[in-house]
Amino acid sequence: MATTRDYKRVAPARGHEPDPDPGDAIGTRNEQEGTADGYEPQQRAAKNRVNKWMEGRIKFGGTGVKRKTAALVLLGAWGFLPLFFMLPSLFTFNTNTIGNSVDDTLGTGAMMNLFLCLLITPAVTLTGQRWFVPLRRWFGIMFACCGIGDALGAAFFDDFAGNPFAKLVEHSFTLLGFLMVLLAIPLFITSNNWAQRKLGRYWKRLQMLTYVIWGLLFFHLATLEGFGFERGSNGSGFAGDGDPIFHQRLYQYCACSLFLLTLRLPPVKGWIAARQQEGRNRLVYLSVMPIFALFLFGFAFIINELIFKGTHSFVENPSSE
Amino acid sequence: MNESYAGRGYAERGSARGGQKNTRAGGAILAAVALLSTFLVILGLYYAAGDRERHKVALAAAGCEPNLLSINVGCTTVQMLNSRYKSIANPVIQQVNADVAAYTGNERHHLAAAEAALTAEVTSENAFGVSLARFPFPPAVAPIAKALIQANQARAKLTAEQARSSSLTQLRSFNERVKVASAAVQTEMKLTRRALDSRPTANQEP
Repeated sequence: MATTRDYKRVAPARGHEPDPDPGDAIGTRNEQEGTADGYEPQQRAAKNRVNKWMEGRIKFGGTGVKRKTAALVLLGAWGFLPLFFMLPSLFTFNTNTIGNSVDDTLGTGAMMNLFLCLLITPAVTLTGQRWFVPLRRWFGIMFACCGIGDALGAAFFDDFAGNPFAKLVEHSFTLLGFLMVLLAIPLFITSNNWAQRKLGRYWKRLQMLTYVIWGLLFFHLATLEGFGFERGSNGSGFAGDGDPIFHQRLYQYCACSLFLLTLRLPPVKGWIAARQQEGRNRLVYLSVMPIFALFLFGFAFIINELIFKGTHSFVENPSSE
Repeated sequence: MNESYAGRGYAERGSARGGQKNTRAGGAILAAVALLSTFLVILGLYYAAGDRERHKVALAAAGCEPNLLSINVGCTTVQMLNSRYKSIANPVIQQVNADVAAYTGNERHHLAAAEAALTAEVTSENAFGVSLARFPFPPAVAPIAKALIQANQARAKLTAEQARSSSLTQLRSFNERVKVASAAVQTEMKLTRRALDSRPTANQEP
C-alpha cells in the first residue's frame, strides 16, 4: 500500500494515463506542474481557461456530462471505426469478407490509430492543453486491437499457402506486420494503471516499443507497396481516381511521420518552448503549419482508404480494389 | 528523453549559450522541414490538379465499366469485376464440389447422409443465385449472366427434388438429369467469365 501511495505521489498524473506512447508518458504532468513550466502568465491562463472550460458540464438527457468526457467520446469514436466496420462480418462469420478486407480495413485502421496516438504529444507541445491526453491510451489500445485483428484475419482467412503461422511469416511484409503485432501485445497488456504501477520506471521503457513499431511500419509498408506507384494497371496505390501517389501507403506514412517526428526532436521542442515563453505563439503556429498541412494531406487519404474499404466491409461486400 | 521537462529545460537555459545554440538549431530544423513540407504540399496540389486527365488515361489503359461498383472512383475495371466475380464463384464451386463428393460417397448405402449432402448443395446453389442476382454485371454481360442464373436455378430445383427422394434407387435416378443441369451451369459460368474478361469496345466512361 505504502509503495503504491508513494508512487502516486511521485508521478501523480501518470498513474491515471498509461498509454503506449512513451513520449507521452513523459508529458503527463498534472495541472499544478503545468503552471511551473515557464510560460507567460497570459498564455498559462489561456491554456488553463480551456482546460477549466473542459471540466464544465453540459446537460445531456437530464444529467450533466463533463464537456471533456463528451469531447473525448466524440474524438475517440474514430478509433473504434475500423472495428465497427468489421463487426457485421464477425457476427455473421463471413469468411469471404474477413479474408478479403480485414487487412485493408483493420490494417489501415491500425495505421490511423497509431498516428492518432502519436499525435497527442505534438498536440500537447503546441497547444499546452492536456484535456485530450486520455485519448492517447484509447488510440493505443485501438491500434493494438486492429493490429491483432488484422494478424488473426490474415492467419486464418487469407489466400496464402500453409498453416496460419506460415501465412504470417512467409512474406517479408507479413513477417514485419507479425513482428509489429508481437511488440504491440505487451504494450496492450500493460496499458492499464495496475501494470503501470507494478512496472514502475520500467513501464516507460517498455512503452518505447511504440517507436520501434512506428519504425517497423515503414519497412512493412515499403515491402508491401515499395517506393513506386501505379502505372497503367501495375504498381501500388490504385489509380482509379487518377491519384496513385496519394493512395500509396508508404507516402502517406512519410507525410504523416514528418510532422510527428519533427515535433519530437528535442531542439525543435526547445525552440517552440522558447518562442512560447517569449509569447510568440503565432510564429510557432506559422512555422508548424506547412508540416501539419502535409500531415493532413497524408492522413486524409488514410481516412479515405479506411472509409472506402470499411463501408464495403460493413455491407459484407468486400472491395476488390 | 523526458519530453515534458525538455521544453522547460531549454527554456531555463534560454539565456545560456548552449541553450541558445540548441534553440537556434531547433529553429533551423523546423524551418528546413517547413520549407520541405511547403514544397511537397504545393507539389501535391499541383499533381492533384491533373487527376482528371490521369483518371481518363488510367481507365482507358485498364479497361473500365463505369459506375458499377466503386463509390469512390466511379469506375470498375475489368480486373476488379473479375476479382469480385471470382470471390463469389470460387467459394460456391468449392462448397458444391465438397457436397457432391459427400453425396457420391453415400448415394449407394446411406440415404439420410446423401440427402443431407444434397440439401447442403441446394443451400449453396441458392446462395450463389442470390449473389449473382445482386452482382453488378455490365450491360454487355447481363444476358449471359441471366442465363447462368436460370441454369443455376434449374439445377437447384432439381437437386432439391432429388433431396426429397424416399429411396436410394429414386435418389440415383436423378443423377443423369442433375449431371446435365450441372453441365449447363458450368457452360454458362465459362461464358460469363469469358464475357467479363473481355474489354469493352469503347471507353464507356461518361
